[in-house]
Amino acid sequence: MSTTNALLVVLAMALVTYATRAGGIFLVGFVPMSARTENFLRYLAGAVLVALVVPATVRGGPEGYVAVGVAILARLVLRKALPAIALGILAAALWRGYMGVS
Amino acid sequence: MAPASQPRPPGATLTAAGCWRGARAILAVLPPVFVFGVAFGIAARGVGIEGWVAALMSMAAFAGAAQFAVLDLWTSPVPWLPLLVATFAINARHILLGASLRGLCRGLPAWKVYGAMALLSDLNWAALIAAERRGERDLGYLVGGGALMWVTWVSATVIGAVAGGLTLDDVKTYALDLVLVAFFATTLVGLRRGRVDDLPWLVAGLAALGAVWFLPPNWHVMVGGLAGGLAGLIRDELKRP
Repeated sequence: MSTTNALLVVLAMALVTYATRAGGIFLVGFVPMSARTENFLRYLAGAVLVALVVPATVRGGPEGYVAVGVAILARLVLRKALPAIALGILAAALWRGYMGVS
Repeated sequence: MAPASQPRPPGATLTAAGCWRGARAILAVLPPVFVFGVAFGIAARGVGIEGWVAALMSMAAFAGAAQFAVLDLWTSPVPWLPLLVATFAINARHILLGASLRGLCRGLPAWKVYGAMALLSDLNWAALIAAERRGERDLGYLVGGGALMWVTWVSATVIGAVAGGLTLDDVKTYALDLVLVAFFATTLVGLRRGRVDDLPWLVAGLAALGAVWFLPPNWHVMVGGLAGGLAGLIRDELKRP
């Protein structure tokens, strides 16, 4: 690929990506703010996060379940995110150590 | 002076202190961001992209998944349509992320809002909405976290493009690929309001899995997020007397 084309590709990617980043707050500006909208947006945040976590966990296979399960349990017990993430990863790493990388 | 009879929701702010809090909140996920950045730099050189172009891409696009996807399309002549469609599809989830930040942009000038959105990403967004639940009202939280990730991502790309040697298998061996999932999962725990979230979250999870199985790649966050949000809204509307 020529340098000119490479730079055009980078520019196009940057524009499309920024459009998605700015698009959400831009579009939601046209929606009248009501209790209903607020309600939807509150559910939206959690739902997006669930939609990020669930497929990634399933794709991770057994280690995915171990990492996420331990992290959630630790977060509930310790009430702190950082140690919970560390424990989840440690558990997954141990699992991989014994079972091999899947 | 306006009468204070109508209690209005407090406006959002964007301060350096907020940036600092946001930067601290995403420290835990910097190692995987760094490793994936190095991997991207290596992979980019692997398909014949010059190091400085790879670095420029990381600076201007700052979108890991889309950047990896474009490597497969790095051919001559440029496959413009697939390239643009892939970039949009992978990043379309940002639209939902941005929309959910409406309350945190309230009262801020447009240039600050649209400037901050340039650094919008899953990780700093997740950190921010978790913090919002604890009373955070500063959009700087997004900016600080995003800026730190941006610097990490760009420098890692440069290091990967120059040095190399690491493979995605190494990443898997140390379970680094799971740090981001674990981070999102723990964020979810803090976000949960109670039983009211059960139905929307169940619907979101099932819809996202369904999208993984039945739709082209990368639409699952969009589909799951919208389905879950709508499920909660419709349930509440039906319960209303």
